[in-house]
Amino acid sequence: MKWAILSGIEGNLAAYEAVLKDLRRRQVTELYVLGDVVGLRGASENDNEAVIQRLRFPKTDELVPQVCVGWWEEQCFSLHGVSGMPEAPELMALAGGDGVKALWESVSRASVGWLRSQHFGFHELDCLLIHGSTAGYADELTPETPAIELCDRLIRADANHLFCGRSGRAFECWVTPSRLTSTVTTLDGPQAPKDQGKTPRRVVGVGSVGRIPGQATYTLYSPASNQLSFRTVNYSKAKGFAPV
Amino acid sequence: MSDTPNITVVAGPPGIGKTTWISQFLSAAGLGYLYPGAGAEAVDRLRIGYRFPQVSVIEEEAALALLSDLPESGRVYIELGFHIDLAMLPLNGLPCRRVAVVPPNLAESEWHSWADEVIIGNNIETPQAGRLPSLWRAPLTGQVFDPPSLDELLIELTGGAYGQVIRLKGIFELPDGQAFYVDFAEGIPGLEYTELKLPRWLEGRPSRLSSLEVVGYDLQQTMIKETLLLTCLSDEILAQYQRQYQEHYGLEGLSETKGAVA
Amino acid sequence: MKLAVMSCIHGNYEALNAVLSDIDAQKAEQIYCLGDLVGYGPDPNAVVEMIRSLAIPTCQGCWDEDIVEGLNACECSYPSQLAEQRGRIAHEWTNDVIHPEVREYLATLPMTLRKDNLCFVHGSPNSQHEYLLPSMDGFAVLERLLSADADVLFCGHTHVPYDRRLEDAALSVKVGAADNGEPLQQLQVPLKRIVNAGSVGEPRHGRPNATYVIYDTDTTQVTLREVPYDYHKTCEAIIEKGLPPIFAWRLARGVEFAERADDPSHVCER
Repeated sequence: MKWAILSGIEGNLAAYEAVLKDLRRRQVTELYVLGDVVGLRGASENDNEAVIQRLRFPKTDELVPQVCVGWWEEQCFSLHGVSGMPEAPELMALAGGDGVKALWESVSRASVGWLRSQHFGFHELDCLLIHGSTAGYADELTPETPAIELCDRLIRADANHLFCGRSGRAFECWVTPSRLTSTVTTLDGPQAPKDQGKTPRRVVGVGSVGRIPGQATYTLYSPASNQLSFRTVNYSKAKGFAPV
Repeated sequence: MSDTPNITVVAGPPGIGKTTWISQFLSAAGLGYLYPGAGAEAVDRLRIGYRFPQVSVIEEEAALALLSDLPESGRVYIELGFHIDLAMLPLNGLPCRRVAVVPPNLAESEWHSWADEVIIGNNIETPQAGRLPSLWRAPLTGQVFDPPSLDELLIELTGGAYGQVIRLKGIFELPDGQAFYVDFAEGIPGLEYTELKLPRWLEGRPSRLSSLEVVGYDLQQTMIKETLLLTCLSDEILAQYQRQYQEHYGLEGLSETKGAVA
Repeated sequence: MKLAVMSCIHGNYEALNAVLSDIDAQKAEQIYCLGDLVGYGPDPNAVVEMIRSLAIPTCQGCWDEDIVEGLNACECSYPSQLAEQRGRIAHEWTNDVIHPEVREYLATLPMTLRKDNLCFVHGSPNSQHEYLLPSMDGFAVLERLLSADADVLFCGHTHVPYDRRLEDAALSVKVGAADNGEPLQQLQVPLKRIVNAGSVGEPRHGRPNATYVIYDTDTTQVTLREVPYDYHKTCEAIIEKGLPPIFAWRLARGVEFAERADDPSHVCER
């Protein structure tokens, strides 16, 4: 069993094609896409739709991607009035009125419907694969996130390995809650103190496929052997050319 | 003994273990069971019928004719609920064996004088002669219950929230298509749950019979009924559950035949 | 100085009076309340009037918020369909009897209160709906304490009081392989504490008595107080005023009326 875990295509069709081509040589058995499939990184305004079509209808010799939603998808849901927030203040803050307009015009209502039907995350074996964290889609975890927060997100994940993509960075971060003595007193009196130290657990940033032009990063993971590696694929940005 | 009567009549206070005593004989062939003074939905009738499909559960109207003309090898067990007057049995002098099941601490009683044989049953309080409890029965056929709600209601009922309950018996259908028999007797701690080995009913509301019987004092019948309704699943929620379970178990489909014998 | 912290009064005026008398007898100098003044119980207006007249600093509970917003409690708190129906009836009843000025007052209540290194919340610093159960992962609780920037966190919402010390916590973060290289971050926390004030008006510890806590800021001693009172009066009022009579039976047994804190790992989305 070998997983390819991607995030952050952000509408960059050329980058996604480059990664798919690279995957053909990797004997991958599962393909996970952790949100941010649409965005403003496409070479043309049609690329968001093209990426969605590519995900929905893979070629016959390609794996069927398992997709969960991310930050950019939530912005689409806001714009199309299918989520809690009527405007998209986060998107406005990031990309201004032009960005809002571009996203609105580049993702069809039908595609929003399909995105809405995708998962929030995947719980497989001892791993949680999700865009941000179970605290929210905007939760950006990095090695610099305070240790106690990383620890809390892993506890909420109910998993020993948390794969996420919000930051766009590729990293492997081991969190070791080595020691904690907890003593509880109730109306029945004090209970024996308990040591709550745990074995190390891991937060993995899976990189970004589309954020950096010409360079796509993704993650390979084998659950059985616990082997983890990051792949960077360089490709030509030119529109219409096949990736290098 | 070759001249043991074919008819055994069993009496005793509620919760003493009459049905349990009778059940130990019901695995053999050619048997009949009768529970007079109760409708088709008496829980014991249903329970025996579900558990021992080969036993003939005798309809009351047909009882006398059948009992008068019993085949040599046929044996019938008649269970008398506490509300049946022992003197008034419509057996017209047919030979029968009278068994009383009584608690260990009861030396003498109406049952002792009546019985040919006395069996010691559960250690429970018997109702005082001047203070007979009332029996309340609710037909539940077609209803399917939300399991945690039902648990809560049974705890409340047997805990005295709706009057003093000395005996409770019920057959309940659950959303996974199974039916359960629940038993409570005051003095015996806890509730006994027994899965009835019936086919899973996963298509719409079950048509097989189920009901609840409560014996006690000052029973708040309206309140119990209202709460029962709050614990039943709506059509919509039942349909959702059944879809999920159909996927999980594969569509076994609706079966009219009785399942395997327990 | 002794502080008294109480929570989850739920319209139970008799219980509140008994607790206030006990607080007097214990010579506590300051009282804090962690919300849920109303809901389930027969005297929500009287309870709020009492709290206001004594100017007791109070934070907003989940029921207080629901009454202000006209919402129902989060479904995840109800262990069964029956409980959910009963909760809905209690909401409608409370909504009908609440005086407008009481509703306005509940809307003014803050999410958290602070005093020096102490923080007071209804559920958790994240949410009024989050249950901080004593069985919750210690590091998750530590995260709540650190996010509140408090040494002692007072909470309610579960209706069963406890005092929990978290000592000698050590946590490290490394980049790369687990057994490789120096840690990027190291966290050591000698002592933090979380104290649950239980419930005045709807106890769930198996007895009908009211519970609250006393905290001594000088000695840091925590005392869990259990206060008997004439709960039959509350039971009579429940029945007389048309609340589900089953609440009276459940109060007498110290079990939840409808909502229950079951799952220590569930984080409410609301």
